[in-house]
Amino acid sequence: MAAFSETEVQFWTTKAVSWGENTSCLTLLDTSRHLNGLRSFLQKLLQGLQQMSSTSEAMRTFPFVGQLLGRLCWNPCVIVDERSQRLLLRCLNCLYSAEPLSAVERKANMWIKNLLCHLISEEEGSVAHATVKHAGISPERYHMDALEKVVSLMTEEVIKSCDGSPNSSARCSNGNINTMSTACIPLVTCCQAAPLIGALLKHSIICATSCVDEEFIEEVSKAWVSKRLVMEEEAVVALYCHNPVCLEGAALSLLESVLCDPKTVSLSLDKCVNELLLPQASALHCHIFLTVNEIYRNVLMEIDENIALRALIQVYTNCFLQRLTSLKPQDGPPLSAFFPNLPPSLLCPLLTAPSDVPRTAWLDHLSWIRRSLQRVVESEKEDRDARAYQAVFDAWFLLVQCGFWVDTAAELLVLLESENSEALLWLLTFFHHPTNRGHQRSQQTVVAKEAWVHIRMLFYARPPLPRHLCAVKDLLSSCLSRNLVLHLFLNFAVFSHGPVSFTTEIIDKVLIDAGVKQRALWILSAIDCRLNRTAVSLEARVQSRLKTLRETLLAPCAETLP
Amino acid sequence: MDAVVGRLQQVVELLAVSQLDCVNEWDHQTMLRAFEWAQYCEQVHARSHANPALRSALESRLHDTNQRLRETLPSYSPVMFSELAQCQHKLLVNLLRNPSSPSSIINIFSLDRKTAEQWLDMDQTPVITGKSALKMLCCSSDRSSYSGLQVETEVRGKLLKTHLKSILTQHGNENSARILLDSILHDSAGKTENLYDVMAAALLASDDDTNNLSRDVILDWLQSHDGCLSKLCRSLSPRLCCILSRESVTFQRAYCDVLKRWANSLEYDVMQSAWVPTCSITSDETVTFNVLFDRFRALLNSGSPVKEETETKLAELKVESGDFNVKGISVWTDLILQLKV
Repeated sequence: MAAFSETEVQFWTTKAVSWGENTSCLTLLDTSRHLNGLRSFLQKLLQGLQQMSSTSEAMRTFPFVGQLLGRLCWNPCVIVDERSQRLLLRCLNCLYSAEPLSAVERKANMWIKNLLCHLISEEEGSVAHATVKHAGISPERYHMDALEKVVSLMTEEVIKSCDGSPNSSARCSNGNINTMSTACIPLVTCCQAAPLIGALLKHSIICATSCVDEEFIEEVSKAWVSKRLVMEEEAVVALYCHNPVCLEGAALSLLESVLCDPKTVSLSLDKCVNELLLPQASALHCHIFLTVNEIYRNVLMEIDENIALRALIQVYTNCFLQRLTSLKPQDGPPLSAFFPNLPPSLLCPLLTAPSDVPRTAWLDHLSWIRRSLQRVVESEKEDRDARAYQAVFDAWFLLVQCGFWVDTAAELLVLLESENSEALLWLLTFFHHPTNRGHQRSQQTVVAKEAWVHIRMLFYARPPLPRHLCAVKDLLSSCLSRNLVLHLFLNFAVFSHGPVSFTTEIIDKVLIDAGVKQRALWILSAIDCRLNRTAVSLEARVQSRLKTLRETLLAPCAETLP
Repeated sequence: MDAVVGRLQQVVELLAVSQLDCVNEWDHQTMLRAFEWAQYCEQVHARSHANPALRSALESRLHDTNQRLRETLPSYSPVMFSELAQCQHKLLVNLLRNPSSPSSIINIFSLDRKTAEQWLDMDQTPVITGKSALKMLCCSSDRSSYSGLQVETEVRGKLLKTHLKSILTQHGNENSARILLDSILHDSAGKTENLYDVMAAALLASDDDTNNLSRDVILDWLQSHDGCLSKLCRSLSPRLCCILSRESVTFQRAYCDVLKRWANSLEYDVMQSAWVPTCSITSDETVTFNVLFDRFRALLNSGSPVKEETETKLAELKVESGDFNVKGISVWTDLILQLKV
């Protein structure tokens, strides 16, 4: 059982007493600032109470609990905070006895019921009570209407206090703004307060002498990044622009959900990426794009083989480019600002969307990309200095960002004859193995070709021949090029002709390991995003095939079922 | 329609019963059903707005039921028709206050999804959060509107006005509006100054009420209620009364009448050489000469047309009371002399 230190209990009971003595503005503000700590304390208390077998035991073990909870319930700041409210109600629930066995328990029950009554109604004999009682609508509706009006009055006040012009700082009614923003800390996720929250946020940005409470901004950031808050795009972009901590938090949160949350792979990756509005904000502000990329680049340097991360970078860039093209091109900075230190010979072909290139020209376009990349790689071989190495890395990172071209290459490999495959296989190899680590480049090229041949034969022979199955399985489990083989394999699965059942049969036989399945799902995710982006109406066959494959992989393995 | 009216009667009786000991016989199912009935009652109330025949049938049955219940239960307080919009809430409050209610009543507040599912519509989070959010925001805004009223008062006043307006447009009869104001007065027995602030806010609330019907109804009600208008004027600051006078000619006239009555309650005490209040005016606060002076001075400072009209009125009153120019005979003369009009 979590032990409560005497000082801890003392601190919070004293606080509760001092807050309870007067519901002045200062008191409420002080409460606002302590909410985080209070929530942790209440969480511990709740856990303690949950382990009690009866109310009597609870009151013996935690003699302070009655007074504390009672006082906190009378503090509107604590109650209005969603999470604290939940914790308090849960604590009260623990103390309630469904079948009271003693006078103490019966009294406790009555006390709890009275407390709940106080939470939902006004004190009798007050004007508040009278006006609500005779409002002709439910109390819920009344308070919603009242809130709407107060929020609108206060929002107006915030907007009037600063219009962003350079010499308006003198007119800024600073003190009140600070008070209002502190009071709004627990209200950040209250949807009725949204206009006010937005106005305060805007104020903090446009007013040079704004004293919007720092903790308020932090709370808004935290709520937004953890998706507890709905905000307008304009406000989010402003937040990212002026609050680097928030931007980093958002980028990291997205990264975390991709790397750590197993559920994310079954969702639509571009929805995930767009949720925190990072592509939108990046398209509007160069520095936002550069910051996010910097973070992902650094992580990629550590875990460059991570398929999930690559898929994220690819989809993020894809979404970003989409947003960028929808903005007026002459207003914004040139593309080179977003991709510094890269030669136009690389930027040009890679940043063109595959949907903007006719399918018949794909092969040529990819050859162009290959030539540009090769030039960079060759110069590294010659110069062998740090700058050249950096150039290769930068070029490779751009390829990762524009991984949709690599996917396009893989798609082409499904249908092409062997004469044209060389450039495409080179691209695939370079994509998966940019460095000549352990001088494996030549080996990898051979493996790539071999894999392609085997996979082709596997998919084109009906029924699938065991030796091809074996060969492909071996390649997938070898450390040398398993990601490349998997990549190629999945493209065949999606784009080859032939009945879906045939394909799923192959998948079932070849992709058995859970880890491989997970990686396969990420690759399919990226393919899905790319296909959704194409303006050309996609063959329904491919779409449904993709869907079936994902479902097959997501279904629990037959061998793991009891 | 009979069935509906009948059900309404049952719900009102249910509300009465929910305050008694016999609820300890209720099981969980009974309680759920009670809330279902209460919800139904709310829907009926909503429907009655568009259906005058239904509404009058309901009101009359309600009246009878109230009467009967008052006879059988000594502590019964009658339920008004408009309160039926809050039936579920009333039932919940009754049960929470009743020591004999079934212990599962608390499950309404449960955050456990399975338990909460049973209580479909009864999620109390919006009320709890809404109420405290209102309090929080009102406390934090020191915005005193130009009328000097607090935010909370302003908002409650606005809502009151909106409600009055809807009653007047829907039912076209001022009686319901008056009953509403009566009930509010009755239920805020303890804190009438706050009530008068809210009423002032309601009078000031501007919207597209072109004919100002609701404002007139409120003023009418205040005047017809013994002493209410006087109490309101006494409670509100001189400045606020001036603002109200500027907004409404009707208020200005009524205010003047109140001031007249106040003045008439003063008599000249030769020993003190001053005008002193007699005991016959409102018991709450006596009106002194200085109070009157402050009031008139504020009126004279509030710009045209109020200033000119006040000057005219004062001159008239002086003439009416004998047109004296010497102190100590007519309170109007003395006021005018002191105001240096």
